[in-house]
Amino acid sequence: MSGDHDHHPSPLGPHDWSHGAPHNSYAPIVMSIGIGLFLFVFAGMFDYNLELSEHEYTGHGLLWLFVAIIITGLGLLIWWRQDLSFDGTYEPLATGAPFRNIQIRKVGMFVFLMSEMMVFTSLFSTYMRYRLGLRRCDDVFADGLFDPVTNPTGWQEAVPVTCFEPASHLIASSWWHLAPGAINTFALIISSFTIVQALRYAKKTDIDEELRRKRVTMFLGTTWVLAILFLTLKMVEWFVGFYIPDLGFIHEHDIKSLVAEGYTIGNDHYQHHSYVDEATGAHMTANIRVSASTFYVTTGTHGAHVAGGIIGLTYMTFKAWKGGYTPSNAVSIEYFGLYWHFVDLVWVLVFPFFYLY
Amino acid sequence: MNFYGLMLLTAIEVGAVGANLESTAETLGMTENGITLWILTIIAIPKFFMIAGIFMHLYGDPDSGILTMTALFPAFFIIIMILFIGLTHPDAASGLPAWCRPGAWGL
Repeated sequence: MSGDHDHHPSPLGPHDWSHGAPHNSYAPIVMSIGIGLFLFVFAGMFDYNLELSEHEYTGHGLLWLFVAIIITGLGLLIWWRQDLSFDGTYEPLATGAPFRNIQIRKVGMFVFLMSEMMVFTSLFSTYMRYRLGLRRCDDVFADGLFDPVTNPTGWQEAVPVTCFEPASHLIASSWWHLAPGAINTFALIISSFTIVQALRYAKKTDIDEELRRKRVTMFLGTTWVLAILFLTLKMVEWFVGFYIPDLGFIHEHDIKSLVAEGYTIGNDHYQHHSYVDEATGAHMTANIRVSASTFYVTTGTHGAHVAGGIIGLTYMTFKAWKGGYTPSNAVSIEYFGLYWHFVDLVWVLVFPFFYLY
Repeated sequence: MNFYGLMLLTAIEVGAVGANLESTAETLGMTENGITLWILTIIAIPKFFMIAGIFMHLYGDPDSGILTMTALFPAFFIIIMILFIGLTHPDAASGLPAWCRPGAWGL
């Protein structure tokens, strides 16, 4: 229970801000139970099949998984209602060193981003370790076809080579292949700009409320559209591909998705179209499980953060449309903006090192 | 201004990947991939600072000092990780400078 009943007229919130900031809440315990249940159930959902060397779904636990997600969400919702002042009447400040007099929510956001940085650092270091530790597949291919006399260290057809095949070998092979990733980069930068504009208009005191409502909604809505565009192009790049007909000034292009090209986490017989020996027509096959995994896990984790941002943006755009943002509570957009800029920041590193290099 | 700068730097990044850098690579005694990596790394650094410093207000605000320290706290762990990536590289034992190879200090 949230302690003093004078502060919380209802155990589900909202908090009575006339008594100052809340000091305790039972909501984190509810969230912990939900997360604990989720991990416990999830761990038991798969069995390892030794014969097939892969995990198999056991067929039960899905219902409990949803129950765990609901409990976690409920805890989050209660905490949110209890501890946040939605109309900006109260913005709690930190009292202890070293963050004294800085808004608690801002400090909390930076601490959260710090932990996020660790998550992405571990993904990047994994990528660096494998990329530096394994030979590039095109270097292996350049060694030439195996010959017991003239080239005993060369590759052999139908004998997969474990090497590092960066996704950029496919993605950066033509402007059309690169287009979804490049458009996404510009989309994220523009969305960082639009969120700054939304904050700017929400903070303005010299414009009338209706104009503020329209502008903030427009800029938050634009950010939402760009985020959706990002994930859509990601799906196109991974799973769908696209087709450009012959338009006269543009030649016909059938751009396959990464999955259609065989760039998947389970592929141990990958063949890039350029890994063909011209003289004999022999194909070099590569085990790309490690390289594809590092690519999909890192870019997928980033994509999951964009998806999380879309959920937040959906709520914020709706709130802005209802006229919910004023100069007194505009900082909420700033705090979300910190998260969104961080997502952009990560992409600034993901794009060159996973898509271009 | 910051926004236009970011757009321009991204355009240069994409252009650098498409550009034919073979002759430059030969002149500098590097591989084309190596030059591309240098260009991308050099461009990523100002982009990183432009987003963190200006968009995220880690530069110029009264509380930006302590918040920058908070944001940079993981840098310590990042350095450790990169160090161990280097030390666990297959060529580390032969590629390290003599002063930090096993046995250099009687160890």
